[in-house]
Amino acid sequence: MRAVLRALPALFRLALAEMFQYRGEMVLWAVWGVVYPSVAMAMWGVAVKGSPGGEAIGGYTPGDFAAYFWLTMVVGHATTAWDIHEMSWLIRSGRMSARLLRPLLPIWHSVADNLAYKILTLTILVPLWLLVIVVAQPSFQTGRFELLVGIPVLVLAAVLHYLWGYNLALLAFWFTRMDAIGQFWFGAGLFLGGRLAPLTIMPEPVQRIASALPFKWVIWFPAEALAGWLKPGAVYSGMVNQLIWIVLGLVVFHVMWRLSIRRYSAVGA
Amino acid sequence: MAQIEVDRLSKTYRVSEREGGMLAALRSVLRREYRHVRAVDEVSFSIEAGEIVGFLGPNGAGKTTTLKMLSGLLYPTAGRASVLGHTPWRRESAYLRRISMVMGQRSQLNWDLPPMDSFLVQLAVYQVDRAQGRRTLDELVEMLDIGHVLKKQVRTLSLGERMKCEICVSLLHHPSVLFLDEPTLGVDLTMQDRIRRFVADYNRRYEATIILTSHYMADVTALCERIIVIDHGRILFDGPLARISARLAPFKVIRLDLDRDVDGYDFNRLGHVIDHAGRKLTLRVPKDQATVTAGRLLSELPVLDLTIEDPPVEEVIRQLFARGAEAGP
Repeated sequence: MRAVLRALPALFRLALAEMFQYRGEMVLWAVWGVVYPSVAMAMWGVAVKGSPGGEAIGGYTPGDFAAYFWLTMVVGHATTAWDIHEMSWLIRSGRMSARLLRPLLPIWHSVADNLAYKILTLTILVPLWLLVIVVAQPSFQTGRFELLVGIPVLVLAAVLHYLWGYNLALLAFWFTRMDAIGQFWFGAGLFLGGRLAPLTIMPEPVQRIASALPFKWVIWFPAEALAGWLKPGAVYSGMVNQLIWIVLGLVVFHVMWRLSIRRYSAVGA
Repeated sequence: MAQIEVDRLSKTYRVSEREGGMLAALRSVLRREYRHVRAVDEVSFSIEAGEIVGFLGPNGAGKTTTLKMLSGLLYPTAGRASVLGHTPWRRESAYLRRISMVMGQRSQLNWDLPPMDSFLVQLAVYQVDRAQGRRTLDELVEMLDIGHVLKKQVRTLSLGERMKCEICVSLLHHPSVLFLDEPTLGVDLTMQDRIRRFVADYNRRYEATIILTSHYMADVTALCERIIVIDHGRILFDGPLARISARLAPFKVIRLDLDRDVDGYDFNRLGHVIDHAGRKLTLRVPKDQATVTAGRLLSELPVLDLTIEDPPVEEVIRQLFARGAEAGP
């Protein structure tokens, strides 16, 4: 662990320096994270107005939808991970060989990249998020309790999503191309994580499927908890669920990593 | 005591294959065919501390695969290896801290940033003491003469400059065992010479054990007293560089000094004429016919002097590599 603590700040600085080189690309990726929740927000706002009574759908008023989708922006940013898309490139280009030669698990390189992106892009995102609040007028019920548990809930969601994304990315040691798997993972997260609509207004079977998968605890749960719509008991229970998925993820990572490096053929690398 | 011990190490790759064309492509969707390629086949050798050993062979001979197994990148299919008392593919941190691998075609540097950024990360990852790291860095920068490129973006460096930076980043933690895979590939002659001198100097200063693969004979003759020749995954020769010709060359070289001109004598029926200038002649003949041919030359021509020699090392290796190139990787 001492090795990780010494290496992580250096890798973080390196990742920051690299991102400064590609600042334009960073801005576009970050803005994309604001655009599609804003579209969902607008669509559901219109849908409420067109619904019978014109006041709410499934108990969500336009202000509630605005609050929910605004929070999915923030939670989405905190939990974003792209290893599924990067891992096969690392393997094909031979970069993985260079990382494997070091006395440090390659996952820490990716963690440093991930943190650097999230922190750096906050400089663009925070003003945009504030602008969305001014325009969309979300109705939060966030109190002191939500603010207090919000940080650990968000951290657990980020760790959970990162870990499972990385576990899936390790399949790149078996499959040359991971784009389709990556898209499938992204689509499942969109639908079953509650990015398109709050899970409580989804059909019952969808809710049951979502409960058996980790996505719910990555987006929907943190967004609802931070909005102040969950009772303390539900928040604690959600955090336990997040922890269970993290522990499971760690076990899977341990097994997958051992199998992956045995499988590594360093072809052309 | 041996620092590297390899015992019947083997690696077999499973590669998919199909014929060209649309039908074959469709067939491969339903049933993919695989072939097993034995890249390294029961290779055994041992290397003492401080040795520089040249690992030679044509393309696809199994050199890089062997180095990758010894550096912990690949799991072998069979066999054992011990480097510095560790089994490489267990990838223990204590092991990885003591070795390094320079891959001529692969980069450990971040291409978008100046090399200095990668150097600082390397020092942190290997937990090198800050003051010690600074000293080592200054020393390597001076030895490799790369002070002027430290602030340039890696992607803008010349191949030679980049290779020197690759070597620098690989040595910042003072590895005891160094695997050099084609370290001079593609760099110009002056830079090749500098890199060779640096490697020799590093070996002397730190008594590092070095395995070197290269396609340039000059690398091998300048640095290695011992070479291991590998072809089709098997070791053909392991011993002093000076003895390789005697062991591997399928031919001998006959040098002839004549007393007078012998116009019209057909030397080509005896072997391949390498050089013929005036009354001096160099002839390459099959090894098993060298004595008979020499006898004929002595009896049929006015010979002043005749010597039978092994061909130069460069020639033997060149032919070996050419054979590999014809066979394909």
